[in-house]
Amino acid sequence: MLYAGIDAGSRTIKVVLIDATDARIVAAGIIDQGVNQARLARAVFDKALFDSGARKSDIAKIVATGYGRSALDWADTTVTEITCQAYGVKRNFPDVRTIIDIGGQDSKLIRLGRDGVVHDFVMNDRCAAGTGRFLEIVAQRLGMKLEDIGPTAEKAERPAIISSMCVVFAETEIVGLLASEESPENIVAGVQNSIAKRIGTMAGGRIDGPIVFTGGVALVTGMRDALAGALKNPVEIVDDPQMTGALGAAIIALEQMNKSPLSDKTPGIVRQMHEEMLK
Amino acid sequence: MERCAAAKKPEIGTNNACSSVCPITYFKSQVKNCLDYATERKKNGAKIVGIMCEYTPREIIMAAGGVPVCLCGGSLDMIGPAEKTLPANLCPLIKSTFGYSVERANPFLEMSDLLVAETTCDGKKKMYELLAEERPMHVLELPQKPDDPDSFEHWLIELKKLKNILEVRFSTTITDEKLREAIRIMNRERKLRIGLADLMRAEAPPLTGRELLDMKSLISGMPIDLEQYERAPGALKGREIYPPANSLVRVLVTGVPTPHGAERVIDIVEKNGGLVVCQENCTGIKPLQEMVDEDAADPLGALAEKYFHLPCALMTRNTARIDQLRKLAGEFNVECVIELVWQACITYDIESSFVKRMVEDELGLPYLHIETDYSPSDTARIALRVQALFETVKGKKDFRRER
Repeated sequence: MLYAGIDAGSRTIKVVLIDATDARIVAAGIIDQGVNQARLARAVFDKALFDSGARKSDIAKIVATGYGRSALDWADTTVTEITCQAYGVKRNFPDVRTIIDIGGQDSKLIRLGRDGVVHDFVMNDRCAAGTGRFLEIVAQRLGMKLEDIGPTAEKAERPAIISSMCVVFAETEIVGLLASEESPENIVAGVQNSIAKRIGTMAGGRIDGPIVFTGGVALVTGMRDALAGALKNPVEIVDDPQMTGALGAAIIALEQMNKSPLSDKTPGIVRQMHEEMLK
Repeated sequence: MERCAAAKKPEIGTNNACSSVCPITYFKSQVKNCLDYATERKKNGAKIVGIMCEYTPREIIMAAGGVPVCLCGGSLDMIGPAEKTLPANLCPLIKSTFGYSVERANPFLEMSDLLVAETTCDGKKKMYELLAEERPMHVLELPQKPDDPDSFEHWLIELKKLKNILEVRFSTTITDEKLREAIRIMNRERKLRIGLADLMRAEAPPLTGRELLDMKSLISGMPIDLEQYERAPGALKGREIYPPANSLVRVLVTGVPTPHGAERVIDIVEKNGGLVVCQENCTGIKPLQEMVDEDAADPLGALAEKYFHLPCALMTRNTARIDQLRKLAGEFNVECVIELVWQACITYDIESSFVKRMVEDELGLPYLHIETDYSPSDTARIALRVQALFETVKGKKDFRRER
């Protein structure tokens, strides 16, 4: 028996299949987003199913999340990515109090209470500043691949100050910096700091640790340190930052099937999470 | 006879939820009902008085033989015309109200003999100056210290001036008896509307927050409205809403008013798993909480008192609102609070941090702050936040149940 979580994000669609008995990840997949989202989601889901060796009838429940969740009508339910990220990150960091999720076109700061339940959240989903999009634009502007952004930033001697609030104007500012012979390394590091600063603003000067960083942008080296600098607090990264949304969705699928009171079928890991919450 | 779409028992004439015209159906044609009434009254010599705030004492207007009509704009389409003169970075309610005037598109404004306005927020105050260029207007100065006796005295003087102005303009005398009669009518309206709002206290209310909101009339003290308010609790008995109330999260919506046409956020809440059981704003329960003292020796003084106590964010300090919210959250058994603030509404926006603090720290309830305007471009973003809020509420509920 398996449970499935699908996270249809702005850049990629992720799938995670977990086992019913111990909530262990059995298979996972990721595919780039495109025009026919439903078809792409189906493809990555079928591939993960194939990899797991299971059949469609072995899937007890599918939960969809992410920007495109409503388009997946073959999912059983939808849950917002805020709740899914909380469950996904808590899996490896049960004491997490602040989750920072920076994706392709949005960023979220999710606060959890001591009880492990989402307390509140701040979301930026209408401005490119503070999202992966900013990094994409900078990579383009500097003629490098997105994967090279992290290693480039590491070589910075002195991060440039990017003063523009808006990515469109920041792009112009970067052209100016290049013209005045500022190094690409310093520029990229400056952009990372700018994104981190935007997250700091979202935190509103109130941040409780442990802080955990997830989302596609967590894969970019240097971002974690930039965040830790802006938040003046240590920041951890999850092992597989792109997958926590889908993982959380799968865990919710499992939990919804075994609704309270906890049944005998509830696997140990979820029972443990509940027990943590009760402490 | 019209059938109410939501009624689970559509047969008419039997032991059912709807008898003759369901009040909910009646209020769907509210604008037409009010227009017919206002037109008829004007034909018979009554003066139409346009108002734009819950601080305006309707009773004084009624005692002068006037019909008080609310002109607050809820239309997105009226904002473009308003922005030719008004700045874009301004409350949509103010822009829409003004836009109606520019376009001459509000029949009630077009038939108004006088507008009565107050110095409330900065935006309204300055918009009224522009409006006054085209429309006969009297502006009351509303003092901003609700606990200061001198402020109250000043307010009373302003109401006396209003009384005199109306007497002159409308060639009438406003006697104490006429004031008392108007007070009786308005108190009756308040009590009846509270009776309807109280239906939402139930575990399974017979109507949605949107349906209740639609029952707020544009005209004060309209007899046929009061008849419907009186019938409604009986007529709605046994009615079931869909989705069923026990599957919905009980929400208290607070903040700015949502005039006719600007109910988008209420709809988003109720289309995404919520039930707005209480609306603590001027289109909701706020103006109904206090009656005018019918036994007071000086009816004008009694009016001044009741109206001066309205807890709007323009007042400083507005602790009365925080107290009221605390009380309402308990009375309506709410599970979360959503605060709606119109874009550029500085007073409610700043005050929201007091509200958030009280809701989260004292009541321990989840709180969501929504800032928006009349444009539907952020509907999906708001829906996402509302869904996440409800998931948090359910998460807390499951956590408590398992303890």
